Amino acid sequence: MAVPAIELTGLAKHYGSFHALDGIDLSVPEGSVFGFLGPNGAGKTTTLRILTGLAQATSGSAKVFGTDVASAGNEVRARIGFLPDVPGFYDWMTAEEFMRFTGSLFGITGTTLDERVKALLELAGLSDVKARIGGYSRGMKQRLGVAQALINAPSLLMLDEPTSALDPIGRKEVLDMIASLAGRTTVFFSTHILSDVERVCDTVAILDRGRVVAQAPIDDLKSRYGAQKIVLEVTSAADALAKRFSAESWTSAVERENHSVILTVNDIDAARLAIPAAVVAEGAGLVRMEGGEVSLEEVFVELVGGER
Amino acid sequence: MRGFGAFLGKELREIVRTWRIWVLPGIVLLLALSGPILAKLTPDLIKSMSDSGGLGGAVINLPDPTWRDAYAQWTKNISQIVIWALVIILGGMVSAERRSGTAILVLTKPVSRPAFILAKFASNAVFLTVTTVVGAVATWGVTYAVFAEAPIRVLAGATGVWLVFALFVTAVMTLVSALIDSQSGAAGLGFGMLVLLSIATLWGPAVKYSPAGLMSAPNAVLLGTEVSLAWPLATGALAIVLLVGGAVLAFGRKEL
Repeated sequence: MAVPAIELTGLAKHYGSFHALDGIDLSVPEGSVFGFLGPNGAGKTTTLRILTGLAQATSGSAKVFGTDVASAGNEVRARIGFLPDVPGFYDWMTAEEFMRFTGSLFGITGTTLDERVKALLELAGLSDVKARIGGYSRGMKQRLGVAQALINAPSLLMLDEPTSALDPIGRKEVLDMIASLAGRTTVFFSTHILSDVERVCDTVAILDRGRVVAQAPIDDLKSRYGAQKIVLEVTSAADALAKRFSAESWTSAVERENHSVILTVNDIDAARLAIPAAVVAEGAGLVRMEGGEVSLEEVFVELVGGER
Repeated sequence: MRGFGAFLGKELREIVRTWRIWVLPGIVLLLALSGPILAKLTPDLIKSMSDSGGLGGAVINLPDPTWRDAYAQWTKNISQIVIWALVIILGGMVSAERRSGTAILVLTKPVSRPAFILAKFASNAVFLTVTTVVGAVATWGVTYAVFAEAPIRVLAGATGVWLVFALFVTAVMTLVSALIDSQSGAAGLGFGMLVLLSIATLWGPAVKYSPAGLMSAPNAVLLGTEVSLAWPLATGALAIVLLVGGAVLAFGRKEL
C-alpha cells in the first residue's frame, strides 16, 4: 500500500481553552488534488502551519510521506512546496530574482535553476514582467506564489486559500495553474470556496470547528451525504403534485419550476414507489423523471451549516 | 545550517538595493566628513561670538585645535548618534520579516531557523564593519587635509573598540527583535539597555569587567588614558555570542 502524501492522526492544537484543531484524522493519497474545505476559522491554516513546521501540535502526529514533520525539519521541507494565504515577497526583487533566490534555498543551481525559473515564470505568465514585485497586483503575486512553490519540483504542493482574495480573472488564472498540475504532483488545497474545489479537486475533506466531518472523493461524498434529488416534469397538475409531495414524510423540500417539480428526498426507495402512484392519481402526464445534480455546496451545508 | 549562504546573500543584496544602503552610511559619512572641519572652525566661531559680544562680554580663549580634536568629534558622534541610529534601524531586523510574511516563505524551505538568525546578524555585522571602516578612513583623510597630521593607530584603536561595542548592540537588537514583534517596541528596549549601560558606567567594577566599559573606551584610547580593555573586550565578545545564541533559541521556539 502506498504511503499517503499526508497522514494526520489525532492532530490537536489548543490555544488555552480554544481548540483550533480537535483530534484530526486525515489521509491524503499521493497523486491526488485534495480539497481541504471548511468555513473560516475551521482550522485549515492551523493544519497547514503544523504540516510546514511553522507551528507545533499540542498532541497527535502529522506525517508527510511517512515522516513526522515535528522531528524531520529540512528533510520534509525539501519535498514540499508551500503557498501561504497571504504570501510575503521581497518587494525590491523582480519575479526572476525571487525565483532564483527560492531555488538557491533548495541548493538548486546552474542550468537546472535556469530552466526551472524560465518554465515556471512562463507557467505563471510573468516571463515578460521586469518590474519589481512591489508593483504587482494581488493576482500576479498569487501566481508568483504558486510558481515559487514549484521551484523544487515538490512531491507535495500545499496551497492555503490561494484564490480567496482574488478577482474572478485572478481566480481563474490561479485555478488554471493548479488544474495543470494534476497528475504531476500531489496538491493539498485549502479553501472555503466550494466552486474552486469542485473545479480542480478529485478528493475532498470537510473541516468544521477543528474536526474532519467528511473525507472522500467528491462524487462519493455527494452520493453519501447529499440528500437525493428527483426532477419530475409533467404536462399538467404540477401544483397539485407539489402540494401532495409536501405532505409526504420522505420529502425534505419541494420546489416548483415551470412544469417541473424538484424534490429533495430523504428516503429514495419510498419516493420511487410513491411518485408514479401520485402522477397517476393526479392524472398528470409524465414527461420525465430523473435524478437531479447534488452540488458540493449542498453537501457542505448539510454537514456544517445546520448549526450555524 | 542549510540555507545560511543563500540567505546571507539575500540579506547583503537587500542592504545594497534598499534604503538601508543610504541611512547608516549616510549618517556615518556625514559625521566623518564634518567632524574635522567643525573641530577646526569651533575656536574661530567662539572667538567671533565673543568679539561681537554674543557671550555677554565673556572672553574665551581656546587653544589651537589639533587632530586630536577632530578624532574626538568622531568618537563622540559614533558613540552617541550612530549607536542610537543603530538601535532604531535594527529594531525590526527579525520581526519585520515575520510581520511581512517573507519569513514564512523562507522558513518553509530547507532553511533552518538558526541559519536565518545567524545570517541576519552576520549581514548586519558586515555592513556595520564596512561602514565603520569607510567612515574612519574618511575622517582620517579630512583630518589629514585640515590639520596636516593624522595618526592612524590612535584612530584605529578608538574606532576598533567602538566597533566591538556596536556589534554588541547589534547582538542585543537581534535578540530583542526575535522576541518582540513591534519594531518600535524592540527599539524601546534597545534604548532601555543603553540607558542601563550608561548608568552602569558610574560603577567601577562594571566599567572594568563588563561591556559597559566599552562605552567610554574610545575616548580613553584617544586621550591615551591608561585603561585595561581586556575584560570589557572579552566579556563583550562573550555577550555577543550569548545574545545571538539566545536569539536563535527564542526564534526557534516561536510559532510563525
